[in-house]
Amino acid sequence: MTATTTSTPAPLFPTFEQVFQGLSGQIGQLRELAPKPKLPDKERVRRAIDVLIEETNADEAVWLESCIHCGQCTNACHYFQATGEAKYAPMRKMELYRRIYQREIGPFRAWYKLTTPKIKLSHLEELQELAYDSCSECGRCTMVCPMGIDTASLVHHLRSALVEAELVPPELATLHQEQKYRRTVFGASGEKFIELVQRIRDHYDMEVPLDKPQADVLVLSSAVDLVGNGNGLLATAKVMNHLGIDWTLCSDAFESANFGLLSGDMALWEKLSAPIVDAAIRLGAKTLVIAECGHAYPALRWNPMVKGGELPFEMMYISEFLGRQAQHGKLKLRPLQGRVTYHDPCKTGRRGGAFEEPRAVLRAMQADVVEMPANKEFNWCCGGGAGIFLLDDATRLRDESFRIKMQQVEQTGAEAVVVSCASCRLNFEAGRVKNRWNKRVESLVELVAQQLDEEMAA
Amino acid sequence: MSLLEFARGPAIHWSLIILTVGILWRLLGVLALTRGADLSRPRDAFGNFKGYRTVFSRSWPAGEFTTATMFQTSVAYVFHLSTLIVVFGVTPHIEFITGLTGWAWPGLPNAVGVGFGVMALGSLLAMILRRLSKPAVYCSNTGDFITWVLVALPLLTGLLAFGHLGARYETLLALHILSVCALFIWFPFSKLMHAFWFVFSRAQSGIVYAHKGVRI
Ligand code: SF4
Ligand code: SF4
Repeated sequence: MTATTTSTPAPLFPTFEQVFQGLSGQIGQLRELAPKPKLPDKERVRRAIDVLIEETNADEAVWLESCIHCGQCTNACHYFQATGEAKYAPMRKMELYRRIYQREIGPFRAWYKLTTPKIKLSHLEELQELAYDSCSECGRCTMVCPMGIDTASLVHHLRSALVEAELVPPELATLHQEQKYRRTVFGASGEKFIELVQRIRDHYDMEVPLDKPQADVLVLSSAVDLVGNGNGLLATAKVMNHLGIDWTLCSDAFESANFGLLSGDMALWEKLSAPIVDAAIRLGAKTLVIAECGHAYPALRWNPMVKGGELPFEMMYISEFLGRQAQHGKLKLRPLQGRVTYHDPCKTGRRGGAFEEPRAVLRAMQADVVEMPANKEFNWCCGGGAGIFLLDDATRLRDESFRIKMQQVEQTGAEAVVVSCASCRLNFEAGRVKNRWNKRVESLVELVAQQLDEEMAA
Repeated sequence: MSLLEFARGPAIHWSLIILTVGILWRLLGVLALTRGADLSRPRDAFGNFKGYRTVFSRSWPAGEFTTATMFQTSVAYVFHLSTLIVVFGVTPHIEFITGLTGWAWPGLPNAVGVGFGVMALGSLLAMILRRLSKPAVYCSNTGDFITWVLVALPLLTGLLAFGHLGARYETLLALHILSVCALFIWFPFSKLMHAFWFVFSRAQSGIVYAHKGVRI
């Protein structure tokens, strides 16, 4: 068993509200740093089309062929529901993809090449808002579509095309470039990570294992932890120590965030996953735990390019890890006062399948949990997913769609919303502040750290 | 050659050939494409098979969406079922199919056939009115309207021919057959192909989500 805090030292890190304000400032600067397009227009269009041709398999083709324009998906999309604007209807988001498919790949391509206009850069420019600002790839529209079309997957391919067309929104483009060339996010480097670990060790006099060979569990962190919310990492460390887990962090594989996935750059997505997988193998870990960073779950656990079945370790999201501990009766927590509700991040919920585990954690603290009217597979996205919380141009869409989320929470009568995703949390925090909303927004792992019951565990 | 002879002869034959070749061409052109591989480990070993359930389960919207989709779903069901009954239930249609395939079965009484024809046309009308009244929801394109007209015409001309209304019976019958020919020709190139795609599309999504342990 590792050492834990005996007396409570003054908090080392700022509150999440302060973190949010600091990060907002940093996000604001991203626009100015965005790379400018370098390629000639024709080349940008050609590359975008080429990548779509390459990524379009039978699945995509069938989905593109299947739409009957029945309009049902509009019932499910928060951006459409919040604005009522035709351009945000889910089926509109795949229109250009369908045109490209029909001209280049479809069985009647000869006909469509003759009868439909050529794709121009302006078409791709118009697509930017549809593929980034107004689609969080949440998958809710698939739940209602009578044809079961997976618009989220199609939109992801469109993002790949827009990467090639140098049309990634400025904030995402800046972070994409930073992670591609410097392997950092918001400047969160390996040195800064080691420094953060050291600060936690010194201040709290606690053990935070780093690069420990043969540790059972390799735990990841995220840029949000590093550049502001040290409490995230601190909470994780406390919980791991409390559970008596043989765990470690790794100084050259700690970043959960993957701006390859978020921007749509498949090659970068793969490149950023590789060192993490390698580190887990090198350290001999049996489990890789992904930090509370929603998209990191599909980036690693559901990465279609990583042969998961052949890896010597299992990958899971922190909420899954904690949930399993709770399900096995190992997570002893003090009862939580007040009513809460749980928000399923799209990437770990509907598009990830981790529904029961976070709820098991809340049960372990005997929380009075009331589900939102639409929950689990049907949960409404908070509006900030898939990198949208970073985009200034998406502010109106985010703000308006967040109202749906607020109404959902209001109906539960909860005092706090528990989330398990840094992006959701930032988006909720923004919505809370803007709307002077009287709810608390809690992170699942930080809540667990707060409710740890040292006596019961002993 | 009279209009009726033309309709019953070359028109219906060629349209049937276009229908068959067109459907096969479009289906094979898509289904022959390679399938992308998802190498990630499924949540449970045989879980992906559960995805096939979506082919059936998606025949009715989940509880979450029942209210929002009630009108569209029920009217669409009325349309599909009554059209199917009319196509395969009224005696002249059965005779036409018997002529082509040799298969035969008893037809519905005339009044029942007319009743379902009226229901089919009525539901089609209800759907287009809704489509027109909510442009943002339906995002209609020219293809949607052509499809609507080409589906409505056989129903309308069929009912008129049946009731001997508006023109000579032979002319009405010829127009009815020609409208069906137009529908057959349009079918493989239009959204009417959803009659086939729905199975593949639902199954694919079902599997994609089942891979992650999610039931859609
Ligand atoms: S995936 Fe989500 S955000 Fe994107 S179109 Fe569908 S419902 Fe809207
Ligand atoms: S619900 Fe499905 S079939 Fe209907 S318009 Fe939307 S994407 Fe197309």
